[in-house]
Amino acid sequence: MPVSAALGRSRRISLLLAYVLVLAVVVVLFLVPDVPRVLAIVVAVVAGVVFVWAWWLIGRRVRAWGYELRPDDLLVARGIMFRRLVIVPYGRMQLVDVVAGPVERWCGVATVQLHTAAATTDAAIPGLVPAVAAELRDTLARLGEQRAAGL
Amino acid sequence: MSGAAPDPFATALIRPGRSRPDGRRKVHPLTPFVHGLRVVPVVVVIGISLVTQGRHEGDGAAVLITLAVALASALVLSGFHYLAWRRLTFWFDADGDLRVDSGVLTRQERRLQLSRLQSVEVVAPLLARLVGLAEVRVETAGSAHSKAVLQFLTTAEAQDLRNEIVARAAGVRPDAGEAPEQVLVTVPPGDLVASLLMRGTTVLLLLLTVGVIIPTVIAAGPAALGLVVLGGVPIFTVFSEFSSYFGFTIARSDDGLRLRHGLLRTAHQTVPPGRVQAIGFVQPLLWRRRDWVRVRINVAGMSRDGGSGEKAYTEHTLLPVAPWPVARAVVAHVLPGVDLESIRWESAPTRSRWRAPIQWHRLGVGWDDKVLVTRRGRVTRHWAVMPHARTQSVRVTQGPWQRAVGLASVWFDSTPGPVKVVALHRDAAQAHELALAQARRASTARAGDRITRWAQPPA
Repeated sequence: MPVSAALGRSRRISLLLAYVLVLAVVVVLFLVPDVPRVLAIVVAVVAGVVFVWAWWLIGRRVRAWGYELRPDDLLVARGIMFRRLVIVPYGRMQLVDVVAGPVERWCGVATVQLHTAAATTDAAIPGLVPAVAAELRDTLARLGEQRAAGL
Repeated sequence: MSGAAPDPFATALIRPGRSRPDGRRKVHPLTPFVHGLRVVPVVVVIGISLVTQGRHEGDGAAVLITLAVALASALVLSGFHYLAWRRLTFWFDADGDLRVDSGVLTRQERRLQLSRLQSVEVVAPLLARLVGLAEVRVETAGSAHSKAVLQFLTTAEAQDLRNEIVARAAGVRPDAGEAPEQVLVTVPPGDLVASLLMRGTTVLLLLLTVGVIIPTVIAAGPAALGLVVLGGVPIFTVFSEFSSYFGFTIARSDDGLRLRHGLLRTAHQTVPPGRVQAIGFVQPLLWRRRDWVRVRINVAGMSRDGGSGEKAYTEHTLLPVAPWPVARAVVAHVLPGVDLESIRWESAPTRSRWRAPIQWHRLGVGWDDKVLVTRRGRVTRHWAVMPHARTQSVRVTQGPWQRAVGLASVWFDSTPGPVKVVALHRDAAQAHELALAQARRASTARAGDRITRWAQPPA
């Protein structure tokens, strides 16, 4: 299943917030008389190109996220350049978290984070509508309890 | 223990540690002094270096002052530890779980669920050992808080407590005593020394030490004694590894594997059956001619936090050095019914040389109905074995370069530890299939798994 498009919105807002800082730097570079004009222009152009690229990439990366509840385990896929697929058996889940930062909350998305006894598991599903996230958490917790196995 | 006991689980039967009327036990009253004395060598070393650097008149007075400071700090520290000692009590509650109450300012009540026991260790640090004391470390599965260290009990009491914890975890009478054991391997000191010397890191460390000491003495003369002490640190790390692995013995018994080792600080660890999450073999370049390997394990709960550096590496070692046939024999005891020889290796595709030009033809993965095995590394060779039932999760990863040549890696996640189980650079489609197949194998294996209360008949 794909994740909500609202994730793209929340990531783009975060990007904009980060770029407020970049913009401030560029403005300072233009205002300080000792800095050569060429340098300031180069920085501004590079920042602009990176911004457009990141904006475009966010959309592709959000579409690359996906998860699937299978009978015995959960599949989470993500990434474009660095692709990842994680398979977590329900019986191995130690705890399920729902996390949402301020920007995410504002955009109405939340992240479901899974933990197993292995620190390297790294299974998270971002970009879920809060209701869906809560439901997924409960489903996972129930499935985990049914199939709980000793370490 | 004479006569009939009506309640087999009554805690009055045996009582390691000093017990109080309410059934709670206390650690040995010498504990605060042992803690206090630990500071003395440090103060003396600092004092000596100050005196030798100063080199003024009145050396005798300086020595006296150093000793006085050392004694005073030992006393103050002992005082703090006395308060902690007064608060520390431990007992087994009605459910048979280990409870520990401690803390002076922040009080803490900890409960360790013994059905989730991962390892029990009786450790005697040098100073405690001199006065016949030892500490008991108990680790259960869970977070960093799911362990307890009881400092200090007499050696006999510590041993009794260990027996009682293991017996309760196994689900037999708490006074069952120690199960008989069968020694599997003892590492000869000669092999240990040779193996430590035949490692790239050791050679480098020794060169570094020589490289630091000689120029220092030439340039500054004997006055730079303090720097020489600093230069001796690399040698010291090699020695501490030797001293920690000295006399390494593995024994097998009904309550699991027993590992004993240590020259100055002795440790006696018990890992109950089925607690080993993964086994790894490492073979540095220079060990290859002798066919030696080091065997390391992942055990849930053997966390690195709160331990000294020395502790971090001994706890994860099953065998510091052994020839392959011996290592295989030990693995056959840890994972019964597993025959590593008969597993067929599937190599990585030839095109993986574009991604891993050095190690590509060593990469491999294989499995039978019980375990999954992987291998990697050209100069230092690595092998890993993981029972299907212990698979925590499976990951497939693919970087841009791997994608260009149609490769992907499959990671089999284990609990934190030194063993990494990974099939690097497989054919991308095959990697996907391998991950899904391993998830299926793990699910089948989990269904037939039983590791808690291992001595009780199945319910």
